[in-house]
Parts: sequence; C-alpha cells; structure tokens
Amino acid sequence: MPALSQEENERIYVANEYNADISVIDSATDELIATIPISERPGEVRPRGMNVSPDGRIIYISVSDFNPTLEASEDKIVAIDVSTNEVLKEFRAGGNPERLDITPDGTQIWASLEATAQGAGYNVETGRQIATVRVGVEAEGVAISPDAKWVYVTAEATHTVTVIDREAGKALKHIIVGNRPRVVEFSPDGTRAYVTAEIGGSVSVIDTSTHTVIDTIDLGLDSRPVEIAVSPDGARLFVAGGGTSAVYVIDTATNTVTDTIREQMGRRPWGITINQAGTRVYTANGLSDSVSVIDTDCLCVIDNIAVGRGAHSVQVGRAPE
Amino acid sequence: MISARWHACVLPVAMWALAMPVASQEPAQQAVRIGVILPQTIADPLQTAVIEAAAAGIAMAEEEFSFNAEMFGTEFAVTTIRSDDVVAAADQLVAEDHVLAVIGGYGTAEATALSQWAGGAGVPFINVGAESDTLRNELCGPSTFHVAPSAAMYLDAMAGWYVRAGFRRWYVVQADDAESASQHERMLWTLDQRFFGAEEVGSAVVAPGAGLSEDTIAQIRDSNADLVLLLTGANDQLAAVSALSAAGLEANVAGFPYAETQTRQFFAALEGATEKLGSNFRATAWEATLDAYGARELNARFRDLTGEPMEPSAWAAYQAIKLIYEAAFFSGGSDVASVVAYLNDPSSVFDVWKGIGTSFRPWDRQLRQPVYLVEINSAAEDAFSSAFLVGELPAIYMPGTDPLERLDQLGDLADRSTCQ
Repeated sequence: MPALSQEENERIYVANEYNADISVIDSATDELIATIPISERPGEVRPRGMNVSPDGRIIYISVSDFNPTLEASEDKIVAIDVSTNEVLKEFRAGGNPERLDITPDGTQIWASLEATAQGAGYNVETGRQIATVRVGVEAEGVAISPDAKWVYVTAEATHTVTVIDREAGKALKHIIVGNRPRVVEFSPDGTRAYVTAEIGGSVSVIDTSTHTVIDTIDLGLDSRPVEIAVSPDGARLFVAGGGTSAVYVIDTATNTVTDTIREQMGRRPWGITINQAGTRVYTANGLSDSVSVIDTDCLCVIDNIAVGRGAHSVQVGRAPE
Repeated sequence: MISARWHACVLPVAMWALAMPVASQEPAQQAVRIGVILPQTIADPLQTAVIEAAAAGIAMAEEEFSFNAEMFGTEFAVTTIRSDDVVAAADQLVAEDHVLAVIGGYGTAEATALSQWAGGAGVPFINVGAESDTLRNELCGPSTFHVAPSAAMYLDAMAGWYVRAGFRRWYVVQADDAESASQHERMLWTLDQRFFGAEEVGSAVVAPGAGLSEDTIAQIRDSNADLVLLLTGANDQLAAVSALSAAGLEANVAGFPYAETQTRQFFAALEGATEKLGSNFRATAWEATLDAYGARELNARFRDLTGEPMEPSAWAAYQAIKLIYEAAFFSGGSDVASVVAYLNDPSSVFDVWKGIGTSFRPWDRQLRQPVYLVEINSAAEDAFSSAFLVGELPAIYMPGTDPLERLDQLGDLADRSTCQ
C-alpha cells in the first residue's frame, strides 16, 4: 500500500547502531533516499538515541562506542542539518551518551550519560556543558517536559527516574519504577510521563504535578517494552516490545492495552516514533535491520523498509524545503 | 575466633560526584545492612580465584548500591567476615551488625550449615556458591534462597547442548562421594526423561585425587563414547583431561561446572589439552563477554573497577546484594520479615542482567535463570578473551511462551521437589 497520503514535508531518520550511520526515508514514498555516515568505523562507533529540533530542521544524535567505559573519543552529540544531510556540528558529551532530548526553544540538549550515571545539559549554540546531575546507574531515557521545566532521566540498573529542575540544574526527586526502565516520554500537555520497564514488563504512569507514579500498566512479563511514541492528541501510546517483535497500543484514558500489533512486524523493534499528524508510526527494528510502517487507523503494518545494521532509534524530521 | 573482618558503610564514590540526597517518592528507609561470609582458609588456587572474584563482586555491589541508597537518603552497609566457622560468623553479623540477610555458601558443607542456621534464626541466607541439589531438596531451608544455579539446572543445560549437538553416547566418570552420585543419578534421569536419543554407555567411580586408571581409560575407549562427562572436582577434571589426552582419546570431554571450573584460571589450566580433546566448552552461570541485556555495561563496570573479567562468582555475589537491596526497598520495609516475604513472593521480579525477569521458585527457592555455554579460546592473549559465549539455555526470546515456564526448562520442577 503506497503511503501517498503521508506528510510530504517529513523525513524519517534512523540511527543504525552497528552501521555507524543514519538512514533517511522519504515518508511520502517509504523509500530510503540517503545514508548519512557518522563514522567510518562501523561496529566501533555507536549512534543510538536521536531527537529532532523543535523546527524539525536538525537531527541530534547521541554517539558513543561499544566499550562503555567512562570516557572515549567517540562520546559526542552530532547535529545533522536535514536540508543538506550533512553534519552541522559536533560537541563533546563524555560518559557514553545514550539518549537525548531538546528543549522546546531549541537552546539546550539534555543527554543521559550511561557510564557516569549522570544527566547532562548542553548549550546548543556553544556546545558547552552547562549542568551535570547525578542520576541512577546506567542512565538511559531522557525527556524534557513541554514547559521545559523538568528533565526526567531513567536509570536502567537502579530502576529509577530522576526528576531534574532544569533551570536549577539539580535533582529534585528520584522515583522508583519498574525493573530496567528504558525510556520516558511526556504527554503532549505535560501532565503525564510514561516510563517503560523492559524487564518488569510494564509502563509506569507518572503524575507530573507531584512526580509520583499513579498507575502501572502491566503488559506482561514477556512484553519487553522499550520505546514509546505518544500520539499527538495524547490519547494513545505505542510501545515497542523489543524482544517480542510487537507493538502494544495503550489507551491513556483507561491505561489499558487495547491492541497488539504483531503481523509483519520487523524483528526487535526498539525505536518508535509517530508522525505529526498521528497517522503513521515507525519502528526501528534492530534484528531485521528495517523500519516497519504502521497505519494508526487499521493498526497494521503496511510496509517494511530495509535500512542499516542494528536500527536503534527513529525520529520524524522535516523534509528539505 | 572471628577474624579478617572488614566493614564498609556509605563511602565516597569516585566515579560519580556526590550530592546531598534529594526527595524520593518512597519514604526514607531504615538502614539496609547485609552480611557476607567468605572462607578464611583456602587451600586451593582455583578456590582462591573464586573467592577473590566474589570479594570483588561484593565491593562493586557495595559501591553501587550505596550510591543508590544515598539517592533515597538511606544508609547502606555491607559487612564481610572471612571465617571458617560460618555459624559463629552469621551469629555475629546478626547480633552486632543487625544484617537483614547473610550471603555465602562456598561449598556444600558451608551452605548446609548456613541454611540450617538461617532456618533457626529466621534471617535469609543467600546461597551464592553451592550447587548441590540436596540443598534444594531434603536439606532445603525455609529461609534459604539460591542464586547459584542448581546441579540439576547445569545437568539439564549440558544435556541440552551436547545431545542436540549429536553427542549421544555418554561415558560418566563419577567421584567417590554422595554429591557426585547424586549428580550421576540426576544426569541419568535427564537423559531418560528430557533428552531422548542419548544413552550412558559406561561409567566409572574414581576416588578424589586418584586419577583415571588405565582400566578406566581402556573402558572409555572400548565404549566408543563420544562424550566423557566428568562429575568430579575441578582438579580431578584437569587430571582426567590430561590423562585422556595423553592416551590419545578422541571423545569430547565435559566437566561438571563447579564454581572453580568456571574461572579464567581453570580455563587457562585446560588450555594445554583443549584442542586435542574437544574439552574446550564449559557451562557457566555468567560470562564476561556477554554483551546483551545490559550485561556489556555490568561487565565493563567490573572490569574498570578491578581490571579483571567478571567471573561467575563475582556476578553471583553482586546479584545477591542487589536482590536483598531491592527486596528491602521494593517491599517498603527494611526488616527481615519484609525482605523474606518479598523474596518468597512469586510476583516479585528480579533483573539479574540475563535479559529476562526472574524470581525464586516457590517450591525450593531457586532463582530461575538461563545458564551459558562458553568456548575456551586457546589463542587468547589476556584473561578477558580467554573465553567467549557460544550458547544460552533456555533461550530467553521465545514469543508466545510463558517466560517462567521457559526458565523452568532447567532444573527440578515442583513435582520432583522433596523440599518441605
């Protein structure tokens, strides 16, 4: 089924963890149209988490290596200009950065530093590190609230989310969530944050006004939830079940799983994202080296696109004008 | 007399800049204190490797979980006693240090004594070193929780690998002791009930330290066995491999994976014979080159801290501390009763870096987990690369199956358990 109805001003960007590059997909045709090299040392240099500038024109990628020690020369954040598909700038982010998020005004990046158990803020203009905050061991997920007030950072080994007061650059609170939390995402209105627990098989729902867990959605011990995409209206969550090759659909009004998408899913969907219109969900499939395209009306996979080795993270960016 | 004691509370953590504790969702916990008992007298270099690796695992766990506890404004302390009188050591840990649990069990005798002690004291004993099935059956204790895989789990895994690989004719060399006899009996049950097509084609009983006799070697040769299974201690395994190699035997040789045989030091000792005999595959509880499920990071942190690969005994000790820490925090109460209840709760989920949530089996309190098959790398230039992962049982990714049933493919199920 052709994707002719999709946003023609969007591109899909995929970080290929083992290929050390970024695949670029035209969402209007679901075709791979470019590959952006991050390093000439695939299998050593490791691009993982990505995010998009508020205007969709810059893709930021957290880059590290496969030897998760404290510091390595590969540890950095790379900015790619989508109009040229070229690296715009790089700046140092020591400590094995895994994921990142950008403030709504585009002036700061906050990254999780896996090896040093820190959340770290960076000035986008200068690349200078402006804050480091101690979080739990094996920091991974990071998300900035829509009002830019809070930064939430998950820690895999500690089973925690640390709430950071962004302006103060300090930790406010640590929250215990399910076993091996991976990713945290805010609802569009900022009232909720959702945290996946890969080993625990659950999604924790956090009330951001009090920074407390108010519900835990049980997906089953073998569900292996990893990344989350929140629909633009906040009504649904699409959760990538990495080891199960499934996507779980959650109704946020009832906090229940309403659908599970399995047929024709790629293997090990890890990254997941949704387009601006909320009509398409894309997953990055690390074991089939592909992107699955899901129609959010039929909740069915309508295409699988070959990309690079170890597809990890996927984001929607703006197409060149 | 208890000696060689060291006590460490919350210490500065160099890796991460310290900060004052901030608010947490959970109410402030009481102190979480854990006791560890390591043997004082160690006569064998291989056992030394096990114990020193365990000590390093404890040190890393203490550092990390002190860090974690401080986030929540909680005191965390690990007290380690090196003693051969494990009961006296355990009593002291409870009386003086008010520990919530005791970790140890390096050898069946020590683990049995601690298990009996725990049953009387009501303080959980976390067995990290003894694999004997008797501890999970007739000698089981109501307060004993096993992190170390059981002998039955190892035997099932070994059968799974070797039978599926086509080794169908097994010759068993059993040590002249009850432990080995029990393993032999369980191995026969495994071949009969769980892995069809393989058979025992001969067996011999050897006294510890005696080595294989010429008659035994001749019997092995005449049996046309394609696998020789050594249910003997680590040093006897080394001696047997050398003897079989010298005799020009062509069968593969597998040894029961006692803790000593899972060390890099043991792998190095096997190096001279591995290529000739095909005895370069070993079953382990952990592998330092495992790089999935967050294991890469755990292994890397250990290596950064110690300069050594994370041995299985280090992994087991680390996980034991983690389990107690989590039981205290997640149960909402830092008291012994809450910890025991959490450990016993079938719905408690533990992440031990093996890629699947796990729990203690209700019938014998054995931690469910996969075990690994590693290949010894005879061309290795350092300890880290002296082995690498080649197998995992049970497979943890099997969509459509129940994860607990998947894990329970290894070891004894409730219907075979004699644990009361």
